[in-house]
Amino acid sequence: MARLSAQQKIQPDWWSKTIASTVLGLTLAFALVGLFAWYGPGGIHAATKNQFNMWIISPIWLLIISFSFLFRTGARAFLILGTANLICWGLFVLLRYVL
Amino acid sequence: MKIRSDILRIYQSVHTWTGITTGLVLFIAFFAGALTMFQTPITQWAIPATQTLPQVSLEEKDTLIQLAAKEHEKVKNGFTINLDEHLSPMSWYEQGGGRGLRLQDEVRHASLDENGNLITLKTEQNVLGDLIDWLHRTAGIPGKAGHEDLGVVILGVASALYFVALVSGVIFLLPTLVKHFFALRQKKGANRFWLDTHNLLGITSLPFHLIIAWTVVVFAFHDVMYDGLSVVYGDEPMFGRMPSSSQTHTIDTLPPISSYLDKVAETTDGYTVSSLTFSKLEGPGASVRINIVGDGKMQRAAESDIISMDPYTTDILYSTLSTDENGTYGALVTSFFSLHFGNFANDAGRWIYFVLGLMGAVLFYTGNLLWLEKRRKKQGAQARNTRVMANLTVGVCLGSVLGVAVCLLSSKWLYLFNHSINQKYLTIYYGVFFLSIAYSFWKGAALSAIRLQYALAISCIGVPVTSLIVALFANTETWTITTPAAMGVEMGAVVFALLFYYGARKTAKRAYHGDANSIWALRTNTETPLAGSNITPSNVR
Repeated sequence: MARLSAQQKIQPDWWSKTIASTVLGLTLAFALVGLFAWYGPGGIHAATKNQFNMWIISPIWLLIISFSFLFRTGARAFLILGTANLICWGLFVLLRYVL
Repeated sequence: MKIRSDILRIYQSVHTWTGITTGLVLFIAFFAGALTMFQTPITQWAIPATQTLPQVSLEEKDTLIQLAAKEHEKVKNGFTINLDEHLSPMSWYEQGGGRGLRLQDEVRHASLDENGNLITLKTEQNVLGDLIDWLHRTAGIPGKAGHEDLGVVILGVASALYFVALVSGVIFLLPTLVKHFFALRQKKGANRFWLDTHNLLGITSLPFHLIIAWTVVVFAFHDVMYDGLSVVYGDEPMFGRMPSSSQTHTIDTLPPISSYLDKVAETTDGYTVSSLTFSKLEGPGASVRINIVGDGKMQRAAESDIISMDPYTTDILYSTLSTDENGTYGALVTSFFSLHFGNFANDAGRWIYFVLGLMGAVLFYTGNLLWLEKRRKKQGAQARNTRVMANLTVGVCLGSVLGVAVCLLSSKWLYLFNHSINQKYLTIYYGVFFLSIAYSFWKGAALSAIRLQYALAISCIGVPVTSLIVALFANTETWTITTPAAMGVEMGAVVFALLFYYGARKTAKRAYHGDANSIWALRTNTETPLAGSNITPSNVR
């Protein structure tokens, strides 16, 4: 394996990555679960789906936190998770309130 | 599998920090959680036979309810009918009632004598099992955060970190996983051995740990999650209203107990009723909560499923069973609960979860030991933070186990000499726990690890010895010791006594004959060490 330059190496950026993934990871999890709740199998009225929806928020969130340290820098974590939030929430609002 | 070295280093740090900050509370939660698998037998073992009234037949229970309702006003608020042959047929709260650790609750038991007359007995509720369950849910951290226990919230945060620790641990283990998976290298030094043990435990029980971490986060933060979810639900109501009866009835029109059992038999398959709890019988919203135990089924509550009925019509108001009404999502949610509680395979499942729980406790203990080994200095005095962490690891972990062991040991003596035992359990647990920590800081981790393990062995062997003494010398037959529950507790205590004795012997051997520059080393003063080489405050006393 060729040696990576300091630029290519992953920066620890503990605080910024942790904050980005804890906050934006949670809002992203809610957006994904929101899409699943309304447009996933069974739609919004399926029996006991409210409980299932609540259950799947935390594993999505925790997986985002766990893998957020793979972002090269904290700034990239904010950028990518922020963009993902915009896309998912945008899609949610579009499907739910516009179309 | 090859992974870039910068990624490995980062995840090693993530693993270290998430692990070392949560290991101690998780140790308590896991060892107590393993014991909660046998919470009911432990409580039954603790309660004297004199505090239980004889069972009566199914038809006699109907008579019993009416007689009790006439003489005791409290019965109309609610009561429980037990079908278990080891429990009183009927009981209700004179004071208190509700979930959690409640020290002051008074329970009145009721039964019929040979002539069909009502007999009752007021007792203080025994909380030994509840105490273990409470330690499991809060790690013994008292206080409230809002309406939730503070300890539950702290364990929720700890479990989120523990989830991250699991993922990061697997990531930085991946490159060597295949090569070293089943290697348990005993000859390459203590460090290697602990590392191999830690990895082997972690990987083999990984699915269990992921489930536990996830469910505990949900248990702690479900209210917050539902609040957040209400945003995406918008105007759509998230919860339907629970049906409840608005009509009021009087208790003398209550249908016979057999009608509920028939209804359960009609609507379910493979379940037996263990108890029925009636509430608000003469007001609006009367209900009966029926605990049904499934044979090898995934169940929603810790030890059963629940069917709630209108007690006067036997209409089902609510059910936790995986019925068509609850749909696929209901079945999935039940499986999440069940995978936490380990209630899906009867006694075999309980034993497996008991072992997995103990393996979890060992995982956290060895994790802390690895942290300590990594930081220890090859020469000279150990750093202050290493010593503090070593003392805490030994004091907190062994102290909490010892606290529970001494509660079990003293339980029967407390009954013989004292009437108010619940408060004493708590005093004993916290007393032993904090004394153990203080002892660790006073004598150092090396010596206290040995002495606390001997104390554990003695306390554990004291449990069956106490039972034997009481059975032989007490005037009356105070405790039944021949039930499977009681025998199980005594045998378990013997096994743990042997394990702790063995552990103490091994630890002592390491302290006197192992690596002299270890934090676990102890040397007698006559054996003068090289100047400044291994003098630490923990081993000069």
